[in-house]
Formats: sequence, structure tokens, C-alpha cells
Amino acid sequence: MTRPARTVRHRQAAVVGIHALPFSKSIGMTERRAGALAILGALADAGLEVADVDAMYRFVWENTTEMEMARILGVENLRAFGEVDYGGGAGAPTIAHAAIAIENSLADVVVCWRARNRSSGGRPWASQLHAVGQDQFERPYHIVRPVDGMALHTRFWIEKYGWQPEDLGRVAVTQRQHARRNPAALMQKPMTMDDYLASRLIADPLRLFDCCLETDAAMAMVLTTAERAADLRTPPAYVTGFGMGSGPQMTAMTFFYGEELGATPSRWVAPELWRNTGLRPADIDVVQFYDAFTPQIPLGFEEYGFCKEGEGPAFMQSSACPLYNTSGGGLSEAYVHGFNLLVEGVRQVRGTSTTQAPNVRHSLVTSGNVVPTGAIVFSKEPW
Amino acid sequence: MSVGDPGFPIPVPDQDTRPFWDGCRRGELLIQRCGACGKWLWQPRPICSSCQTPDPTWTQVSGDGAIASWTVLRPPTLPAFAAMVPFVVLLVTLDEGVRLLGYLVDDAGRVLTTDGGAEGVRTGRRVRLRFHDQAGTILPCWTLAD
Repeated sequence: MTRPARTVRHRQAAVVGIHALPFSKSIGMTERRAGALAILGALADAGLEVADVDAMYRFVWENTTEMEMARILGVENLRAFGEVDYGGGAGAPTIAHAAIAIENSLADVVVCWRARNRSSGGRPWASQLHAVGQDQFERPYHIVRPVDGMALHTRFWIEKYGWQPEDLGRVAVTQRQHARRNPAALMQKPMTMDDYLASRLIADPLRLFDCCLETDAAMAMVLTTAERAADLRTPPAYVTGFGMGSGPQMTAMTFFYGEELGATPSRWVAPELWRNTGLRPADIDVVQFYDAFTPQIPLGFEEYGFCKEGEGPAFMQSSACPLYNTSGGGLSEAYVHGFNLLVEGVRQVRGTSTTQAPNVRHSLVTSGNVVPTGAIVFSKEPW
Repeated sequence: MSVGDPGFPIPVPDQDTRPFWDGCRRGELLIQRCGACGKWLWQPRPICSSCQTPDPTWTQVSGDGAIASWTVLRPPTLPAFAAMVPFVVLLVTLDEGVRLLGYLVDDAGRVLTTDGGAEGVRTGRRVRLRFHDQAGTILPCWTLAD
């Protein structure tokens, strides 16, 4: 088989610094302060300084702007900056934009971060009573929380693919096992399948243990050129490539108005990812699938082409299935709009995960698949 | 729009969506249809996404359709909804092909307090349009047709 042609780019980006403040239910500081501390930690990890930073990219949902963060830290000048929208869809695209800036010589040292007091700061939808745009046709019926829209999709997938409750329960139980090996993970209590099945329904057919945590967290990542990375103290996680996609007729969280019910934007991201990286699913050694809810894992394996449509749960019980969500993910480590998945994807390349996959060459991380989204591959070796 | 109970989320119409909400207040379900290519369009928009002709025509439909998916809302919900739980929200595919959300209601338009079990709610069942007055906001909803 011929490999898909990789997009030609000028120079390669690599992740050289990662850092997380301890996850908690109440971090006791502003998102601004937590974010700044996370960035300083990631720079220290890389052996770089604020004076080296010349670009920043963030989530639109990040409350501290690049301008404010650069001012606080004392960055002399941002040669490149930008934001990516759509909540949990923004993770991989944010890192991709950082890589694009490096690849095109717009910047040399780029900082990305996510600081969110999602636990102590309350639920963002709870106070939004004036429903504008797409929300005006959804919120009056209490299709308000992410779980509400996801529940309507999940019913469809369950009926179309014949998923059993245990198929989703296996995701929750597996990720809890991973979390229990990770001292930084918030959820350390064991979870059995019986525990999962006994957990209360939140929005049928989704149960409590199908849902991610609500966490205060701050994490950051530093990227630079592959050339400069060679002189730094951390093993680089090279950015081999990425993809983004929205799919047609997209509405955030409730993409069920288009022609085809149930197809998520990941179906459109996947071919872009494989083309851009020149890789295929069999090349991937470990994956971090965005996991605000358990159904996103079997769907991820299907939509990124690890198996055929409808075969996700069976594939996940086969020996061909790579390790997934090895930190415990959003379900059991922390919910940081997927930034913890990105950091864990880098750890897998470094060989420092608490659930380390063997001989990792290529580490895949995806972002939220119920909004416009993306995916990225970090690799042990450069192009 | 009438002013609803501030506890419920309130639709805020704009120029592109106001005809829909005005229709609801008259007891009419209006969906846009492109005058040039005939495509039915949802959610409301100023231009046909199929052929890019501006100003799709607001067209009254029967509201007949079938359940495409459904969920049951249970605690915790927003406080205004607490007295209603459990209740069913349907995703309905109209016979015209577009999909809308709405409560499962009885023949009189009252939201049913149910998990859908007693009514036999399931994907594919036929539904009929009703309107529900939610503290002054008139919402399209659906009742089981058989």
C-alpha cells in the first residue's frame, strides 16, 4: 500500500516542556495565577526562560488572554498568537496552531496552556438563561448540559451498533485502573463493572460513571523547533502532524440536525490527520481519545480507522487494541478540556507515563468529537 | 416575545429566527424551505445551505414525524425544571426530513412526568405536534400518535 502524501512543511516542531499544577476540586487561586504558574513550570521543565517565549496560543474558553498572560509573565513581544474555539475541541488544534507557527518560522518558542476552575467556579451553563443562536431551540427543553446532547447521540449509537451497557462500562473501569496507577489522578477509588452498572442515570442512557470529572486544573506545554529541542534537557516529542475538521451542518454538542445522524466531526478529522502525518492507525502505539463521556472511546477507535464502524467495543477487547487514556483521562484523572490528554500523549513519547505503553514511536491525542475538533500525533523520532 | 419565568431558559429571537417563534405563538410550526431548490432547512438561516439562494421561505408543516432519539432528564437539572423530572426530550425527524427537539407531552400539550417506559417511547414511533406553554414561551412538543 502506498502511504498518504504528507503535507510538506519547512521545519518541525517538538514539545519540550510540560507541567501541571496538582488537580483538585478547589485550587484556591485564580485561573490567571494557576495558568502563569503552569507555564513557568513547563518552561522550567524544558530548561527555557520567559525571555525565550515569542508566541502563545490558547483555547477561546481560556479566560486569560495571551496579551494578559504575556504581560504578567513579562514576555517582550508575541510574534504570533491566536485562539481556538469550541470547548474541548480546541486542544489538539491549539497545539497544531503552535506547531504551524514554528513550522512556518513565525515563532521559535510557543507556549500553550489551559487553566480552568471548572469545579469551584461552577457550571458554565447554569446561569445562561437567555438562549441565543442554536441554544434557543435546545435550552428551553433542558438540552443544556453537555450530557444532555450526548445522551441523545448515545441512544442512537446504542441502537445502531447494538452496544451493551458493559461496552461503555469497560471504558470507565479501564480508565479507573489507569488512574489508580497515576498518583496525580483525582479518582483513586477502585471501580468494578457492578459499580458502573449501579451508578445512577444522569440523562438516559448515560450514567454518572459515563461522565467526566469536574476539576480545577492548570497545565501548560512548550514547543520549539526540532533543531533547538536537540539542545534541551527533555526528550523531545516531535509533532509529526495533525488534522482538524468540523463536518457538515455542525452545531456544538448537538450535531443531530444534519443529513446523517451519529457521524461526529472526527470522521472528517481522521483523513486529514492520516494525510498530514503520513501515518495510518497501525503505526500508532498508544492513544488518548477525548473522553468527556465513555461513548467517545469506541467511536474514536472506529472513526480514526482502527477498526470498522460498529466494531469499536469488540476491537477494544482484542489484542490489536492499543492502550488508551493511560493517565485515567477526563473520566478518572481530571477534566481539563483534554489538555491532560495532550500532556499524557507527550509523556508516552518520553516514556514517563504511569501506564506506559512499550516502545512508543507514535502517540495519538484527539480532542472533543462533538464539536469542531482535531487530533495530533507526537513522535519519538523527527521526520 | 412574552416574558417568561426567569427560571427557564428563554429563547432570544433575532431577525433570522423570529418568524419561527411568532409562528409558535399562533399555533403554527414553520420550517424554512428554499424557494429555488426545495431543500428543507433547520435550524433557521438567512441563506439556503444547499444552493445559496437567500431568504428561504417560512412554510407551515404538520409536525408529523417519528422519534429519532430520546433521553430522560433526571436530577440534577436547572432548578426551574426540578418539579418536572423525570421527563422525556425527543429528537423528532419530521416527515420533511428535518430534526427538531421537543418534550414528550400529552394530547393537551402538558409535559409528561415519566421515564418513557409506561408510554412505550422508542425510536421510530410516530408523533404528532402539540404546543406547550412554558411560563409564557410557546414551545413545539410532541405526543405519541398511536
